[in-house]
Amino acid sequence: MKVAFFPGCVSKGACPELFVSTQKIAGPLGLELFEMTEAPCTGAGVISEQNPDLADSLNGLTLAMAERQGADLMTICSTCQGVLSNHNYHLKKDAARRAKTNAVLAESGYEYKGTTTVKHLLWMLVEDIGLDKIKPLIKRRLTGLKVAPFYGCYILRPEESLGLKEKPERKTYLEQIIALLGATPVEYRGKTKCCGFPMVTMNRDAALTMGGNHIIEAREKGADLLVTPCPLCHLNLDAQQPDAARVMRTPIDVPIFHLPQLLGLAFGFSPEELRLNHHVVSTRKALDKVELKV
Amino acid sequence: MEWTIVVGRYNPEGVYKGGELGPPFPAPWSDAPRKTYQTFKVDLPEHAMILDALIQVREYQDESLAVRCACRSAICGSCAMWVNGHARLVCTSRLGEHLVDGKVTVESPPSMPIVRDLVCDMKPFWEKMRKVAPWLENKQPIPQGEEYRVANAAMENLIQEVSCIACGACLMDCESFAVNKNFLGPAALAKAYRYAEDPRDATRPDRLRRYSEPDGVWDCTHCFECVTQCPKHVAPLDQILKLRQAAVSAGFTNNAGTRHADAFADSIKHSGRLNELTLMPKSLGFFNIKAQLQSLPSAFNLLRAGKLPPIIHKSIPGVTRVKAIFKKVGGRFK
Amino acid sequence: MITDHDVVVFGGGLAGMRAAIEAARHGADVAIISKVHPIRSHSGAAQGGINAALGAGDSWETHALDTIKGSDYLADQDAVEIMCREAPSDIIELEHMGVTFYRGEDGKLGTRAFGGASVARTYFVGDITGQALLNTLYDQIMKTGVKVYEEWFATSLWMAGGVCRGVVALDMMTGEMSLLRAKAVIIGAGGCGRVYEPSTNALICTGDGHSLAYRAGAPLMDMEMVQYHPTTLKGSGFLMTEAARGEGAYLLNADGDRFMKKYAPNKIELAARDVISRAETNEIAEGRGIDGCVLLDLRHLGRDLIMSKLPQIHEMALDFLDIDMVDTPVPVRPGMHYIMGGIKTDVEGATPVPGIYAAGECACVSVHGGNRLGANSLLDTLVFGRRSGLAASTYVKSVPNTSAGEDFLASEQRRVQALLDRPYVGETHARLRLELGTMMDEKVGVYRDETRLNEALSAVRSLRQRYDKVAVGDKGRTYNQALTFVLELGYMLDCAETIIVSAQTRKESRGAQSRTDFPERDDANWLKHVMVTLRDGAPQISYAPVTITKWQPEVRKY
Repeated sequence: MKVAFFPGCVSKGACPELFVSTQKIAGPLGLELFEMTEAPCTGAGVISEQNPDLADSLNGLTLAMAERQGADLMTICSTCQGVLSNHNYHLKKDAARRAKTNAVLAESGYEYKGTTTVKHLLWMLVEDIGLDKIKPLIKRRLTGLKVAPFYGCYILRPEESLGLKEKPERKTYLEQIIALLGATPVEYRGKTKCCGFPMVTMNRDAALTMGGNHIIEAREKGADLLVTPCPLCHLNLDAQQPDAARVMRTPIDVPIFHLPQLLGLAFGFSPEELRLNHHVVSTRKALDKVELKV
Repeated sequence: MEWTIVVGRYNPEGVYKGGELGPPFPAPWSDAPRKTYQTFKVDLPEHAMILDALIQVREYQDESLAVRCACRSAICGSCAMWVNGHARLVCTSRLGEHLVDGKVTVESPPSMPIVRDLVCDMKPFWEKMRKVAPWLENKQPIPQGEEYRVANAAMENLIQEVSCIACGACLMDCESFAVNKNFLGPAALAKAYRYAEDPRDATRPDRLRRYSEPDGVWDCTHCFECVTQCPKHVAPLDQILKLRQAAVSAGFTNNAGTRHADAFADSIKHSGRLNELTLMPKSLGFFNIKAQLQSLPSAFNLLRAGKLPPIIHKSIPGVTRVKAIFKKVGGRFK
Repeated sequence: MITDHDVVVFGGGLAGMRAAIEAARHGADVAIISKVHPIRSHSGAAQGGINAALGAGDSWETHALDTIKGSDYLADQDAVEIMCREAPSDIIELEHMGVTFYRGEDGKLGTRAFGGASVARTYFVGDITGQALLNTLYDQIMKTGVKVYEEWFATSLWMAGGVCRGVVALDMMTGEMSLLRAKAVIIGAGGCGRVYEPSTNALICTGDGHSLAYRAGAPLMDMEMVQYHPTTLKGSGFLMTEAARGEGAYLLNADGDRFMKKYAPNKIELAARDVISRAETNEIAEGRGIDGCVLLDLRHLGRDLIMSKLPQIHEMALDFLDIDMVDTPVPVRPGMHYIMGGIKTDVEGATPVPGIYAAGECACVSVHGGNRLGANSLLDTLVFGRRSGLAASTYVKSVPNTSAGEDFLASEQRRVQALLDRPYVGETHARLRLELGTMMDEKVGVYRDETRLNEALSAVRSLRQRYDKVAVGDKGRTYNQALTFVLELGYMLDCAETIIVSAQTRKESRGAQSRTDFPERDDANWLKHVMVTLRDGAPQISYAPVTITKWQPEVRKY
């Protein structure tokens, strides 16, 4: 299956383990990743809020590029997903916005037509590949592992632009995959809540406490690790975890996995291949549970 | 048809008999009192609302159930509460659309102080409202004997917030309010927008300055909870974002939020993608030594884990397209 | 606890808040007491708009004539003149307070058409005018810092030597009862729609103001004049604003005909509400209804207009009936909506009882007479809210302080405790409420006659006896709603009784009262107000003349 692969900025920057593990699992899943190397950053919502026209044009360009490739646009980041679907949704609906955007894109020889769909890897796994096709790829069942899903806001809200009104089941895909891989999904309130990343520069303590609370809640419910489809959430929950522990004055110590890493482990890749040895919060305890060493 | 509704009950005068004591709430609400959950069965038609069930329980099964409600049609805003853990207005929430494992669970949200049963104390909500000076400070001179002349579009711009019925659902589920009780919150900030953008108000610059201060617009974590829970399509987040734009345009830029946006835009303009290395220091402000020092440990952790982005930040191929876009519609980021 | 204020305003809706603002402006120490937070008041449910003769081509005289004709000539014309003359400046004042009224091309206030108006003079905010006004007034209350005793439930007015000196109320949060001593009490406690089932009214509209004033000796006037709004949603009874018809909606019967052409050839769907309610009742009774309803048809208005001018009712039809009015007509029927009758006041809001003022739906000045025009109620609350606030603030200057009241407070506390202590013998307030409501809808509805009115009166009397045995199903102190519901039921019974007795007395059909046994209007004998006063525990009838200034009663046709 050919996809216009939009890796986003963070998987090529501070979360290289996400990019690497995505590439690794693409093969078994039959995903042909055509990386959109010339597509700009989505702006993560920050640009959208400060200058809607600029964000329309930047994201319009990315969408037009995917359209030209003739493939669906695949994201591996909840934030990229949220921003790109939002702009795709509005540009499709609003002729005036579309005209404005195309006037800007004309200079670069691109035109947004509204013919592509933006889908996160998480959705593609269930909707385009199918859980039944993934099952035979599992070489190592993650039995005994208790995994808490952490979606990240932008893959859940706002519901209209993410197609959640038509497909509310998208709100359960992480649990479905966790269960498919043989692990036990952990139910906890924080799974759909915000990690705090958007306000970490504005109110650091509050932002870190936000994420910290969710991890601790999951841990108290028995989670061995959290899995998230968003590298920005990952940064706040993993890279900033020691800081959060300091602010909250309590140890946290829960590893955070990227979605492709969890799949990769189940498909038989080694922790090193998936760069699970390159997290800020050590993944060792979780890997011990499935008798893996890192 | 028969419906099962589980009601979280609490009475400061004593524990309820019957029902199950629920678990403590997760942080940050670990101090919220635990509730006793009682199960009721009601017989109501297919399209019945959750409020219909509560009224039936109150009228025919247990008169001691305390529920605030008046209009039953999403106008008075009395009946906001947690339904299966998410704030909703129960008079327009169908029983059939909120079943989890065959039942609907309602309770007063732990984010608000509780009075009794499904009645919470709305004082925090109104205190935040008051803080944003939610009234018109008339632009002088006030036209004598006639109205201010304003475009209908200017009034329609405000009507989205005027539709707010002060139900509190947005605040009940606001993540930022959950960890920072001083955050003004979605409803108050949406109201703040309504007056800041009223062409008849004389204090716009002062308002924008105040709302940009800590606990104001920049403390919103942009998570869309308020937009999702609001029953009147007020979309408080959208109002907050517009308020941010207005504040920045008015020159109130000496805050991390503005610097963050500037740093983001700058990075994309130059290289087409985010430079994480410089984003944090730029957002915090180079002279903010304390904040810069605070973020050092994370940087060090990233380095140790081998996750530090390369010092030489490469541009994306074809970055000229991006620069052209900025030139055309970059606004203040040009 | 006993506290002192100059003016206590009982009711936190539009009338109450406007009165408080005005009294505070004139130096009085004012407090508002409301059993719900002021923002929850039923004023917020008013949708369509507020009338004023502001436009060129309009005049207060035309507005007054429309109102008087609308009232079927029962309105007191001096009061109507005042309301219509002062309306323009009150609207401007609202605009200056910040209300986000609709504007025309020139940036000036714009209007929409409404029922019974010869010129379009209804100023509006989408279809949430009441809510917009309520929000703005509450914003002003926050600005002025007037004290609000919110979620305090009034149980009685305190009368000392025939003069009202305060209100006794229960603080819902703690269960503690207090006496709010005052030199004047302004009642703005709204209507009593819950006396009927179904009704467009919120559950809190239980006639508390009517009943407490009645028990304190104030006369209730024109109580038989109960307005049935012609377009209430099938089943729930929720209001579908008249503004829909103002924007051009049609009313259709089962044959798809615009039947109002028969009954009101000129105004058609914009005739007065009582005319339309009767028309609908006839159509339904003669077999041209659909499931007890007629249809409100907005399809020809188009999606854009509906979504911009009528978004709230569009959403309500979707929420409660799963109907999208953009492509499907909505089933509606007449439902109890408003009571023109109320506590008798003069044009300053003063009742015949010293110390008691009233404004808004609970008062009867009378500006609405036998039938209220749409968009005149919001106006009524503001004009007479303001006037009573001013009058009360002047009156209190000559009232001496008092340190009495403890005995009365203690007796109220005992009364309430006795109610709480009653043992359960099988009667619940919920059952009695439902019986009362359905009985009133059946026997004291759009069309009335002596037999059914007599039956209604016996029913109320027997309900009262059962009420005296109702127990309170919650003995706690914190937020005891069971207690307040039982107290409210008592207020509703008072209202029901006065409505029936007044309807029996008036042996004619006028405005909202339609008697099949007296089908004609009888100006010779009945051009007068019917008043009910509580004397020795029973309702006593008396009459008051209708003040006529300029407009002689005519045959009323639309």
